[in-house]
Amino acid sequence: MSGNGKVDRRGFMKGAAVAGGATLATETRVRAQTAPAQPKAASPSAAQQAMENDPPGEAEKLTTEKTGSDFMVDVCQTLGLDYMAACPGSTFRSLQESFINYGKNTKPEWLTCLHEEVSIGMGHGYAKVAGKPMAAMVHGTVGMQHGAMALYNAWCDRVPVIVFTASAGPVEDRRPGVEWMHTVQDGAATVRDFVKWDDYPRSLQSFSESTVRAYQLATAQPQAPVFITADGKLQEMELSKAANAKLSIPKLNHPTQAAADANALREAAKMLVAAENPVIIADRYARTQQGVDDLVKLAELLQAPVIEARGRMNFPTTHYLSHWERSGPVVAQADLVLSLEPSDLYGQLNKMRDQLERTEGPKTKAGVKVISISTHDLLVRANYQDFQRYSPADLSITADGEASMPYLIEAVRQEIGDRKAAFEARGQKLLAAWKGLADRARAEAAMSWDLTPISTARIYAELYNQVKDMDWALLQDGGFQSNWPHRLWPIEKHHQFMGGSGGGGVGYQPVAALGGALAHRDAGGRTPISVCGDGEFNMAPHTLWTAAHHKIPYLTVVHNNRAYHQEVMHVQHMANRHNRGVENAIIGTTLRAPFVDYAKVAQGYGAVGIGPINDPKDLGPAIAKGLDAMKSGQPVLIDVVSQPR
Amino acid sequence: MKSHILLLAAAILAGPAFAQDAPKGDAAKGEKLFMADGCWQCHGVGGNGAALTGPKLSQTALPFEAFLHQLRRPAAEMAPYEAAIVPDSAAADIYAFLKSRPASPDLKDLPLLQGMGVK
Repeated sequence: MSGNGKVDRRGFMKGAAVAGGATLATETRVRAQTAPAQPKAASPSAAQQAMENDPPGEAEKLTTEKTGSDFMVDVCQTLGLDYMAACPGSTFRSLQESFINYGKNTKPEWLTCLHEEVSIGMGHGYAKVAGKPMAAMVHGTVGMQHGAMALYNAWCDRVPVIVFTASAGPVEDRRPGVEWMHTVQDGAATVRDFVKWDDYPRSLQSFSESTVRAYQLATAQPQAPVFITADGKLQEMELSKAANAKLSIPKLNHPTQAAADANALREAAKMLVAAENPVIIADRYARTQQGVDDLVKLAELLQAPVIEARGRMNFPTTHYLSHWERSGPVVAQADLVLSLEPSDLYGQLNKMRDQLERTEGPKTKAGVKVISISTHDLLVRANYQDFQRYSPADLSITADGEASMPYLIEAVRQEIGDRKAAFEARGQKLLAAWKGLADRARAEAAMSWDLTPISTARIYAELYNQVKDMDWALLQDGGFQSNWPHRLWPIEKHHQFMGGSGGGGVGYQPVAALGGALAHRDAGGRTPISVCGDGEFNMAPHTLWTAAHHKIPYLTVVHNNRAYHQEVMHVQHMANRHNRGVENAIIGTTLRAPFVDYAKVAQGYGAVGIGPINDPKDLGPAIAKGLDAMKSGQPVLIDVVSQPR
Repeated sequence: MKSHILLLAAAILAGPAFAQDAPKGDAAKGEKLFMADGCWQCHGVGGNGAALTGPKLSQTALPFEAFLHQLRRPAAEMAPYEAAIVPDSAAADIYAFLKSRPASPDLKDLPLLQGMGVK
């Protein structure tokens, strides 16, 4: 330091050099006193450098043709996994190399993701469309922490994803430094509350059996993610022919799903037939088109209205018994509610008013009977509260809704007796009420037709106009866009809608859309569309790079209201409640100054970026241009500056 | 009983009578207040409504008194706006703005929308 108190550069550098030398000397001395303990990782000692540079002894074997990770690939390939999504991480370096070389990068094909939330979250969307899980691989500790929220969404949504993490081997095999940071004794501890099953196999045979078991458990109802840790030493160990010959991979069981017992279904049928105003609420009910078709049969048999809770595509919006838009009066007038796979039975039957004093009350009239058919109670954990508030039911049937439906239909047929005429009369009333719904939706869509910012109704109308003759599929729930998909679009096929996030974790939409689009690409000939909030998109814009790299075409329309709009409303609500005015509610909730240019972001990731679109008249041509670009296999983004909802 | 119902219906239909009693608001000021007070966040720019967050207010049929009551003592989950935040005069301006909104486009002029909706 110079005399005037300022740091003198020459003096500073000299001091640093002296200090460095002193540190080195001290470290060497300590190591000498305590040898053979390893030194701290800060600076390599001269001895260490020599060890690194010295050639190995002649007898030391440096290469091998077969490792434990090759066998792990064998295990995964028997499961028929099509994809393994991963952001690279050194804890699974041997596995990655085995997948791409030994496994020839097919079944599973390695997908490059730029964040572990994408690796897992795209599996969430993929499984809902493909009807089977894909796998994700996340780096030990840090990658797992990145991916945790996507895992939680999949858990809450009861969707299977096969997740692998990795860990360095035992103490004597870990390099000093980062391998310790990325190693965990209990790899699943962070996520155990929201996976169905986990294991840290300590042998290759154990890995084989655990991975097959994990797949079976993940795909049994209720489905959910599973989590397997691939030990680093097992991955990298040399696998001799003799050792490999001793290993086996068990055949995967495909167990039947649990249908309800006959007595319970007979009782349910009696109650349904006796009811004057039964209503069916379907949430995470249908896994397949057969599930949809069966629900149509039941509804028509009873001439009962169906409320689509939108956990999955359960019931055609074009059917005259689709009455979700009238859910308020329909539920209020019901004398019996049949709830299929509800994620929140209490919320279906009750409401709570969000004011300073929270008040609650039933949505139903007194004396309403409730039947639930659900696997909900088969998979409940204590810590995270996604199980929702306890709700009594008159008949609570613990079974898979879709698997039980054919038997319920048959039971109802046997009970109908002389009620058919009454059912027909009920059906006529429901048909009359349903006819008015479309008129109302169109009239409401017209209200904001020419507005700027562009209305969400206009977005969906322009989109539908362009894709109506295609095999389109929506990748979003649509709740943040005033439910226009369900109000205006003829959603009739199971693959045309895949529900929402499950856990409400922001970032689901872009990552699940990527996975859903991948499954639609493989199904062939489909046009996947993701209308994605700007807040959602900002959580994982790099999904577009993965899509561009792997040629996964889909259309992302950014519903750009330039805010985390749900939170704008929450903060406004609090500001009003506290009598302070809403002026500052934009602080921390809006995405302004500067505006994000999403088209440029998309272009930067190698996708086609269009916009921003401000004028409603420009929207149709922009969509046409985007759809055209998709034909060449490219992901496309259109930035639409939009109304809040 | 029947006559009472008819009288009530007549009273409800007599919207203009209520409106005549309302303070005369300034629609231009009301538009600015509609944005500044955050009404548009739930009801949309122009007050055209959004299915899940707030109903249509454009060309509202509510009498001013009912409009003001909803502002002060919301029926459902709307944030309450007390007089300290939105004085009666400002509420009247907003009300005037909403009443002055143009009619929605006619569906018959929107062929693209006519083809939509469940049939």
